[in-house]
Amino acid sequence: MKLRFPRLPAKLQRNKDSIATVTVLYLAWKNLTTKKLRTFLTIFGIIIGIGAIFFLLSFGLGLQHIVTEEVIGNQSIKSIDITSPNSKILALNQETFDRIGKLPHVDRMGRSFSYPGSLSYSGSETDTIVYGVDPVYQELSNLTVIKGRQIASEDSRVAYLNTALLQSLGIENVESVLDQQIRLLVPLAAGAEPIAEDLTVIGIIDTGSGGEIFVPNHLFESAGQTSYKQFKLIADDTNNITDLRKQIESLGFLTTSPVDTIDQINQIFRFFNIILVSFGAIGMIVAVLGMFNTLTISLLERTREIGLMIALGGRQFDMKRLFIIEAVMLSVAGAVIGMILATINGEVINIIMNRLARSRGVLETFDLFATPYWLVMGILAFMVMVGLAVAFFPARRAQRINPIDALRRE
Amino acid sequence: MSDSQTPTKKQVKPSIIEATAISQSFGEEGVRFMALQEVSFKILHNSFTVVYGPSGSGKSTLLNILTGLQPPTTGKIVYNNQNIYELDSDSLAQFRASRIGIIYQQNYWVKSLSVVENVALPLFFRGYNRTLAKELALIALERVRMQDYATKNPTLLSGGEQQRVAVARALVNDPMIIIADEPTGSLDSKNGDLIMDLLHKAQTDSMRTIILVTHNMEYLPLADHLLHIQDGKVQELQAASIRATVDGLMTDMKQRIDRLSVMNQRKDHA
Repeated sequence: MKLRFPRLPAKLQRNKDSIATVTVLYLAWKNLTTKKLRTFLTIFGIIIGIGAIFFLLSFGLGLQHIVTEEVIGNQSIKSIDITSPNSKILALNQETFDRIGKLPHVDRMGRSFSYPGSLSYSGSETDTIVYGVDPVYQELSNLTVIKGRQIASEDSRVAYLNTALLQSLGIENVESVLDQQIRLLVPLAAGAEPIAEDLTVIGIIDTGSGGEIFVPNHLFESAGQTSYKQFKLIADDTNNITDLRKQIESLGFLTTSPVDTIDQINQIFRFFNIILVSFGAIGMIVAVLGMFNTLTISLLERTREIGLMIALGGRQFDMKRLFIIEAVMLSVAGAVIGMILATINGEVINIIMNRLARSRGVLETFDLFATPYWLVMGILAFMVMVGLAVAFFPARRAQRINPIDALRRE
Repeated sequence: MSDSQTPTKKQVKPSIIEATAISQSFGEEGVRFMALQEVSFKILHNSFTVVYGPSGSGKSTLLNILTGLQPPTTGKIVYNNQNIYELDSDSLAQFRASRIGIIYQQNYWVKSLSVVENVALPLFFRGYNRTLAKELALIALERVRMQDYATKNPTLLSGGEQQRVAVARALVNDPMIIIADEPTGSLDSKNGDLIMDLLHKAQTDSMRTIILVTHNMEYLPLADHLLHIQDGKVQELQAASIRATVDGLMTDMKQRIDRLSVMNQRKDHA
């Protein structure tokens, strides 16, 4: 196989008093392509090292992405949930709702009640959590309705419930409950009349593992309840989340945000990725030693050539440059090919895993491997640094070669 | 050009190198070895100087000093009014790349480069782009009739062919001085004569200054200037006295040959 040095624009080949960088590149290229087997083996080592690191890291990042997606779902990272640490002292009522709603950067805000209650339908009865929601809260919660619809503002005696609740009622055909009457019983705090209502089922949702039912919040308001369980707001921008939370917390409330969860997930995966990288690093260390070995042997073999080049007018600096460029060429070539092969490998595994998942009934497709731009750039930059570091000693020795001694050697 | 400089230029052979009181010593205090002792000489433009002396006489040291690779312990060496060892190392490299053509006894090549690229090396080091450098290298190869071998690897050529390529490499940068260190040392007489012919032509046709380092007296008649080195000391002879020196050396040699053959006859008898 004949490898050709690429043609470079004439601008790069301009005349100077000393050797042009592009000519040094050419000399390095010629040396590497003349010793094909050695160059190939050296690059191959780096391919394996970098390929392993890149493969494992993109797997770690892909997994992190999937987990984050799964946990956060389609919740907006701009949302903040507000609860009270003690509802008797600091109530979430209409007054505090208005107060928080007037804070800067609040886009929209919803509220909800939640009470334990029970539900009876065609002779069977089960416990459930009852949420009284307003339309904004409902919208910000991103509850996905699989059948029917959510509550509209003009609805009054309606409800929608999740599949887990239907299961505990022993209902298999979820559609059969649509438009049916259910009886809801919610015991309120001591002294208050319990809510007992007949409601029409208008929708089914898929979220949650325990029984949940959603009803319009005025069902609770008309029963005299003024203390909400939770407010949910959405900020106008992600960057304002931290400020906004601080302000709300200074009022004495507790806040949570999907950002917290993301932080936790990231923390766990940071640790996980470090473990993955350290596995890959073992291969990388071997590859770097191989590269060092190649450069050292190359230096010993070429002592006379370097002596000759100095005698013919090469500067010592150019000899140093030659070795540095060769090292960087090796490491970057290894990094590029390694990343390409790792990506192809990851794609193939991803296709296989998706097929496998589909055959077991998973409908969504997923990406097990993430190869973000910064990772590619980071690895390239890292390998340039590695090339420079590995070349340091051989290049310094090349620079110090005495042409008289070198040319005297037999 | 001012008028005052014109006469100097028209001078038949201005000196191109002036060496003044060059000494070179090696080793530590106490075990000091003087390779050259207070050597002074002048080399004229377009001359053919032969540095003649037995091995160990200090020839190589003088050669290294002349090619700008080894600063002498004391003394100075001036090329065209420039003391080259006052230059910084990069300028000295530049000087080697542009002013001197070197031919070694052994052939040294950058093995990953072709013949024409090896010839072009001094031009690469002067910052020529590869295309132009290779074109000029091809012209230099034509001068030694080696253009057909341009794309071959130099290590695959015969000794004589390699030495011709080395001559091309020494000519390629249009140097003012060509320094040849035993250029025929590893060649048979036919190839050796060819190389000497090329050097001679470089002097007569291209007006180059030639310095030939040799321990072989066969080529002494080519010289118009002789530096006879012995034990680190130089005896400088001009053209007129070279003939006499050669004759003297020839007489010495004849006597040695006679002595040796007498010894040989004795051995046969025994």
